Amino acid sequence: MKLKYSKEWCAKRIDLEGESEVGAGYLPAATENAEKDKVTFVDTRIALGAFVSLWRRNQGWDAARLAEKAGLEPQEILEIEHDPHCEPEPETVRKLAKVFGLPAKPLLELAGLTEPQTAALREEAVRFAARSESVAELNKHEREAFEAFVTAIARSVGRKK
Amino acid sequence: MQAYCAKRLPAGKPEDYHWDWQQKAGWWRPLLGYHSFALLCRNELQGMMLVSDFNSARLQEHFGKPIVYVVFLATAPWNRPEFQKPTRYRGVGSMMIRAAVELSFDLGFRGRIALHSLPAAELFYRDNCKMTELGADAAHQDLMYFEMTSNQAETFRQRP
Repeated sequence: MKLKYSKEWCAKRIDLEGESEVGAGYLPAATENAEKDKVTFVDTRIALGAFVSLWRRNQGWDAARLAEKAGLEPQEILEIEHDPHCEPEPETVRKLAKVFGLPAKPLLELAGLTEPQTAALREEAVRFAARSESVAELNKHEREAFEAFVTAIARSVGRKK
Repeated sequence: MQAYCAKRLPAGKPEDYHWDWQQKAGWWRPLLGYHSFALLCRNELQGMMLVSDFNSARLQEHFGKPIVYVVFLATAPWNRPEFQKPTRYRGVGSMMIRAAVELSFDLGFRGRIALHSLPAAELFYRDNCKMTELGADAAHQDLMYFEMTSNQAETFRQRP
């Protein structure tokens, strides 16, 4: 990638910026471990939401059908899919894991309900979320991302960070 | 940076005083999802930035879409008025944010970028870069989280 800014742009931005503080990142209170802990719960919950959405679409199910199969309210499914700040109940996640035929532990981890066990899973989760788009049918790209993530969840059981 | 700050401002440390850039560069250099930028002038480091390309947007209008996330951004202490007046250079923050925006376009993310601002820099990202403020992030030291949409990115690069 080649960066090229016009002189006019630079001159105006320099004037605008003046002597402003521009720092972004972490405050000193964060430990270096926190810096290494690059993925937040919000990120992994976005991945969890995208996963739930793609899983049911892969089956051709709407949110109501998945809720019925899992013994949950449709609203709970929609919250998990669309609100990364929502912390689902552990039982809700376990019920979903049962319907998905996947181990509950990694899904609980993605939901921020257990201590992270596998850094690789969290990295995988964020990559997965970044590749998922909210469209009606799974495209080839999404299907590949979805299948790779299912594999990562399955492999993560028993693996320590 | 720590040595420079210690000489000039032993009591009042800047918000990013603790950052060890050498160590940071070592951690992230081998990882494919990270890109580091350094701004040099007259063979001297004026600012540094580290970004990642695998995060997702949180703003409703582009929720879940890929975004360039600014992990760290800092200017050299000699470009900050609390250490040196007049400062040697200005505009380092704008140059770096523009680089993040250009990377986002280059990756096909349409200019979307995000970051957690240090408290003293919130004004810069809100009023100067015209980014959208999504509130304090409890999962990130309660620092203010900002995102730049595609339209905001276009405006930022076209009309300073």
